[in-house]
Amino acid sequence: MIRLLWQAPETIEDVRNLVQTAIELEFSTLPPYLYAKFSIPEGKNAVAASRLDSIVREEMIHMCLACNILNAIGGNPAITPPTYPGPLPGDIGGSLIVYLYPFSKDAMKQGMDIETPVDPIEFPQLETRGATDASGSVTIGEYYAKLDAILKQLPANAWMTCRNQISDAQYFQGQIFPVNNYDDAHRAIDNIVSEGEGSPTAGNPLDFEDELAHYYRFEEVCRNQVLVKADNSVGYAWGEPLGVDWSAVYPAIADPESHDFSKEPLAAQAAQAACNTAFTTMVNELRRAFNGEPGRLGNAVRAMFDLRMAALHALITPLADGTSVAGPSFIYLDTKD
Amino acid sequence: MSVLETPRIIFCGNMSWDPIVTNNYEKFYDEDTSWTKFNRDETVEQFRQVAASSASVMRPPIGVGNWNPHGTHRSSFFDSEISGFDLGGGVGKDDSFVGSPVNFSGMLVDCEPYGSFSSQLFFDQISFGIDGGCRIFAPRKYRFTARYINFCRLPRPVYNFAASVASVIWQTSFAKSDGLRIDAYDSIALQALKAALDDDEVLGLTVQFNAYSTHYYGAETSSEIVGRERDLVNKLAGGGFQPNPARSSIVGVVGLWRKREPAHEPGDRAMLAVQKIINNKCPAKYVATAHARLEGNKLTVDLSNSISETDLQETKQNLGALTFFAEDPINGSQTKLGTIDYAQYARDAYRASAGIVTLQLDTNQAKAAETGNLQMSGADGTPYLSEQPFRAIPSDPNLYLNFGETRTTDVLVLNKGVPVGKGIKVAMGLDGLSVPQSSVALTNAEGIATFNVRGAKGQVQGFVLTPNSDGKEPASISTQITNYMYIRTYPGNDAIAELEPTWENVYKYCLSNWNAMAPCMDNWLDLKNEAQVKAHAPILKRLTDPANFESYRFMPVTRDMTQAERKLLYDFLDGDGRTSAELEAVPVEETVNQAELNRQMRQAK
Repeated sequence: MIRLLWQAPETIEDVRNLVQTAIELEFSTLPPYLYAKFSIPEGKNAVAASRLDSIVREEMIHMCLACNILNAIGGNPAITPPTYPGPLPGDIGGSLIVYLYPFSKDAMKQGMDIETPVDPIEFPQLETRGATDASGSVTIGEYYAKLDAILKQLPANAWMTCRNQISDAQYFQGQIFPVNNYDDAHRAIDNIVSEGEGSPTAGNPLDFEDELAHYYRFEEVCRNQVLVKADNSVGYAWGEPLGVDWSAVYPAIADPESHDFSKEPLAAQAAQAACNTAFTTMVNELRRAFNGEPGRLGNAVRAMFDLRMAALHALITPLADGTSVAGPSFIYLDTKD
Repeated sequence: MSVLETPRIIFCGNMSWDPIVTNNYEKFYDEDTSWTKFNRDETVEQFRQVAASSASVMRPPIGVGNWNPHGTHRSSFFDSEISGFDLGGGVGKDDSFVGSPVNFSGMLVDCEPYGSFSSQLFFDQISFGIDGGCRIFAPRKYRFTARYINFCRLPRPVYNFAASVASVIWQTSFAKSDGLRIDAYDSIALQALKAALDDDEVLGLTVQFNAYSTHYYGAETSSEIVGRERDLVNKLAGGGFQPNPARSSIVGVVGLWRKREPAHEPGDRAMLAVQKIINNKCPAKYVATAHARLEGNKLTVDLSNSISETDLQETKQNLGALTFFAEDPINGSQTKLGTIDYAQYARDAYRASAGIVTLQLDTNQAKAAETGNLQMSGADGTPYLSEQPFRAIPSDPNLYLNFGETRTTDVLVLNKGVPVGKGIKVAMGLDGLSVPQSSVALTNAEGIATFNVRGAKGQVQGFVLTPNSDGKEPASISTQITNYMYIRTYPGNDAIAELEPTWENVYKYCLSNWNAMAPCMDNWLDLKNEAQVKAHAPILKRLTDPANFESYRFMPVTRDMTQAERKLLYDFLDGDGRTSAELEAVPVEETVNQAELNRQMRQAK
């Protein structure tokens, strides 16, 4: 379980820093989730792939909403590429080291650890989970709850209307919306927390759209069981198999960022270079999109698709051992925008 | 139409529409040849730039209103949920299924690219509720078909752009024998629906929804469109992937699909619009065609597509109390069946019930409704709807034919929603001819007339289907009045199939068309990149396989690749896997066969 440091803000700049941490946190969940998803070959593990797909899409939306909040209170979103393996932004003392795992139980458990609610619901058959706590630390959900309370206290003139906002006109209809005031920010935070950890209502694994929250979607895949409605005290139980085939996955190494590709075949090096170029372009375009050039989001999306194509190519390009492959390292190439 | 029976489930929400519309314009696309209109030696990149710049509606003659050159055709529900149910006692909301999300994503494709009468949604499945919860999961049997387009739904001044004025009935059906699954759990509504499926007369479920109040460019009002349109042109010029989806409100129902009921469009008693649209001008008070079903002493009427909105808040036009009658077809006498007041068809009631209203009848009224023709009038006596008992409904609303291919296609003839018997004459007349040109067939004992159709020439044609034909068929399609079907015949370009399967030929005679029309393909596969195309050969073959024609991911999504073009593509993909550059680079000595190699090895000893 990730524990984030919460420091009560004293200035508007402190509040912006807290929102910036949220942006970085949302962004940093994407590479591990994408790595797992990319490593599932086309047509395999369809049920798991579709769950991962929807989680990834929602994390992208969360990041957009967090950027909208920061822009609305006069901040300028920084899109900082995370590094792996490593702690998530805001994590206290590396309580959770995040790795790039191919699709596997470890990858799903890691997803659960990232998305752990304050009180995970224990359904019949579910193993009891040890609660981790550290003084002054909070879960992601608690972090957002505290942030919401702080934003609520901001004076009306702290909010700027129509400042660098991203809407749903082009992507994710009904899910991205401009933030112009506290009510909008509250709705955005509600959506983010609800989709990640579940409804604030105790004993409900569903989010605000009555879909399963991320934590429980990861748990379904991890357990290879569907969470089904049941006539018991928590309303749900572990039901039929989900049909996960842990072997139907590319033989991808974990943590390619730490791997020395100089000893790998040229084709594998080129495949990594293509991934990193696309990732770098995407980051650069996101920076522009969230800082006053919303049209560049289309360029970021194109780069994201380029990254996907490059990743698929990398995942069928053998390494020197003749059996392993590597997915994208998500390395930002330090070039000028 | 079976969605007028109970039990039925009601849903509402929104839908986004993201078609590429470049092929809607004769300037850019020839629907007869199924091919992009390149100007002289124009490259794909140059064509794309011209298509993108024509997104400007404000800069004629360049702009043609090409509002979405970077579309993907994906069209999805969003913010959509189960809003209620009706088990026979009126709309209820107290059920665990209510509030469940409705998930659907389809590919919007017009059989006739230039026109607006032949829209379809190709998809793989629809899901009401989530896996593990109360849910209806329905794998596709037939694509969704659009019919009864109401071009007077929203007055043009309210939101003045493209198809914002129109509303559309979308319908398809799902066979219970074909993977349809209902997980009822504690939902009374789903338990009732599941139990109803046990009836041998029930084939499965029909899903119908009405899409209306369509907005473009994400603009709340039409006054915002000019600025948004300028933004889009600038975004397109700035590169990247720049889709510009439209969005609509939707209301819909899930109900039973019975034997002898059409899958693709409403088949219950048709109460046709009476007020005339003259020179594309809508009357001030217009009620679009509705459908009705009489069961015992209940008359259920589907007004989902009928009553106009008057503003962007979707306020329904107040036509006062609407009165239903049954008119004796012999003596013209009328029996009043009941009245609904404004509150019963106003916005809130419309969203809650998906536009379906039910009248309780006494025995005499029920008898009159059974034998008479249904009518609906306004409070001032204005007639709005009048029943046309006979309808002719095609089994293939939008049919695709290869050049030279001959097929049979069936037309189901209904009289007051019930299949007619043997010997009813049905005319199939070509749309838009000043002198009607029809084929005629007679129904069999099941009420089905069968026509032979042949793809004689590359073209897209509409056909008016007229039951009980007296030789005076309508000359053209009226989406509100006539039954109709479309046939798209691919051109006969067989010479392409015989071309050498080189990359140059494949790109020039097959992929460049696709690449020009669909810039969004750059997201998935660079169609001008020989190595990428080769590398994805198995996927490309699967996605373009005619066996997958109905699939969500079928390629090209516009379904305009001819047999000859496909053969050329497959001949290329089935090659030895090497690209042109690799073939050129092969040293001569590497071409020796195994026997020669064996001899060389011996000589070296």
